[in-house]
Amino acid sequence: MKRIDPTIRFRIGLAPGPDDREDPASRHGDEGETFVPPIDIHEGTDGLVLEADLPGATEQNLRIELEDNVLSLYATVDSAIPEGARLIHEEYRRGSFHRSFILSDDVDRDRIAAELKNGVLRLVLPKADRARSRRIEVKS
Amino acid sequence: MGGTHWQGRWDPFRELRNEMGRLFESLEPFQLARRTYQYPPLNLYDAVDRYLLTAQLPGALAEDLELSISGETLTIRGERKRSEGVKDDQYRRQERPIGRWGRTITLPDRVDAALVTAAFSNGILTVALPKAESAKPRQIMVSTTTEAAPPNSRGESGSRGESSS
Repeated sequence: MKRIDPTIRFRIGLAPGPDDREDPASRHGDEGETFVPPIDIHEGTDGLVLEADLPGATEQNLRIELEDNVLSLYATVDSAIPEGARLIHEEYRRGSFHRSFILSDDVDRDRIAAELKNGVLRLVLPKADRARSRRIEVKS
Repeated sequence: MGGTHWQGRWDPFRELRNEMGRLFESLEPFQLARRTYQYPPLNLYDAVDRYLLTAQLPGALAEDLELSISGETLTIRGERKRSEGVKDDQYRRQERPIGRWGRTITLPDRVDAALVTAAFSNGILTVALPKAESAKPRQIMVSTTTEAAPPNSRGESGSRGESSS
């Protein structure tokens, strides 16, 4: 039984964050690049669960914002590489992570929970009670 | 924010296409290289007396990472699993890679395998590989004495002289 349930609507990199507005030129700097983190979204018992790969992110440098219906993630990753070390091979660049999602009204904003562990952010987006009962009506 | 999401009803396929478009537009040379990338992405630094290898391994657990070193070759292995108890049909979107992975890296020079250390924090693995004595940059003292040959080589030539007589 597959059903598409637009409980959460998401788009990528759409909402300019306050930081982006301040200095768009910083994107071209060595440390100023912004990356779109890969995510998984799955249905949990009480709504949707979103997991984002944010390697290097800590609670101090992670910001989650909810403005109107746009949920935005920002993480600015500091480098632990000592000064004087010379980069000799590079497969990933350091910089910040940013991704935004559009939440539908079905998400209970007051109960959104976040947990950051080993560089993975897990966001629980519970369904509002109203939304749950509405779905039952549609099915019958 | 353009607010384009209000136009028409939600169409996941259109979103996917938009995303693909954005992916291709924003491709920088480095990101292009990452399309054929190996997991996990690694950076290697030369910190004078040691090499530092960093790897992005979000979601990994330190105890599940296997590291081994032999000569100048470092091997890292592990497995990235899906979140526990989540079934296929519960996924709406799956972008994060899963499965067994392994990487073998040949270092530019010899390292002291006994002194290699590794730390894992916030999804980043950092391996410190002290260079072997012979591989470390060293300063060579320039002697100002008139004596040309160092003492040990003089001893060698002496013993050679004895055996030949």
